[in-house]
Amino acid sequence: MTPTPGILIAIPAYNEAGTIAAIVGRVRDSLPDYDLLVVNDGSQDATGQILEQLNVRVAAHMCNLGYGRAVQTAIMYALECGYDALVTLDADGQHQPEQIESLLSEFKQEGWDVLIGSRYISARSYRGAPLGRRLGMQLFSVLVKLIIGRRVYDTSSGLKVIRHTVFEPLTHWHFVDFHAEAIVYLMRLGYRIGEFPVTVTERTQGRSMYTPINYFKYPLKTSMLVLLGIIEAALTRRRHRS
Amino acid sequence: MSLQGVLVLNLIALALLLWVLNLVRHGRLYVGYGVIFVIAALGTTLLVSVPWLQTTLTHVIGAVFPVSALTLLALCFIVLMLLYTLTQLTIVSNRLSKLVQELAIERAKRGGDAR
Repeated sequence: MTPTPGILIAIPAYNEAGTIAAIVGRVRDSLPDYDLLVVNDGSQDATGQILEQLNVRVAAHMCNLGYGRAVQTAIMYALECGYDALVTLDADGQHQPEQIESLLSEFKQEGWDVLIGSRYISARSYRGAPLGRRLGMQLFSVLVKLIIGRRVYDTSSGLKVIRHTVFEPLTHWHFVDFHAEAIVYLMRLGYRIGEFPVTVTERTQGRSMYTPINYFKYPLKTSMLVLLGIIEAALTRRRHRS
Repeated sequence: MSLQGVLVLNLIALALLLWVLNLVRHGRLYVGYGVIFVIAALGTTLLVSVPWLQTTLTHVIGAVFPVSALTLLALCFIVLMLLYTLTQLTIVSNRLSKLVQELAIERAKRGGDAR
């Protein structure tokens, strides 16, 4: 396979000392030709020290800014360094780095602007997900369909391939988690977003960002940003026309 | 409003004025925010000391008693100040986030193996 230096693999990490070494190792083994960046989002455990030992390129936030800001840092880095595309994957080991190559093949072949590694596109259902999460995903999937007219099954997947054309719009304003709100915003701007089936394993170590309070906060915050995304996209389109 | 009420409110306004001026003098309150409280304190003094101003305000707001009109005005001021404070807090928070992100990117460009 020919080296593709134009692609950056980015892993946002917050308190992932238990999994980060393994995930970095797997990315290096399965994707040796791609550049790797870990965004350490102000971790308070040993994540920083482990990353130092691994001699990996790290963008270290001095304090915790949240998942959305960590992804945005990776996008800003990719934009400044002139990468053609960015692949984001979670640091908790749920995503299989070995599947990224097939994700990238689909991305290049179909010319997607954003390709989401989807857990649910094959089954077209949310079987196996916890009830709260299932309801949330159902809600945002339906919401995206109502607004865009096309179903996106896995709006909350952290495994994404993002083309360089999308970098700039994604740095303009702050998204909560680059989930439904970013999908709606980009689709309203006319970008092509697709889904590709991937398998996801359950988190075995560390803590999920979905705490009980987040189950209430997340849908409200995301719904508000979805609405603002529609308005923002309409204003951006109008600015471009005039 | 009774003379005692006018005196108490004027004393509170004077205390607020002195406190704000002291905070600005010691650099613990930005002069732009201080101005808002100075205006509020002077406005309160004017409103409670000039009876016909109170009557006019009560009629304009549609209240029955001058005290109700003043309370409503105070509530509006609190809500507006709260929103303004949160806006300023968000601006500072966004600036800080941007700074942290830029610093992280600059450091990442210089150190570590990209592969």
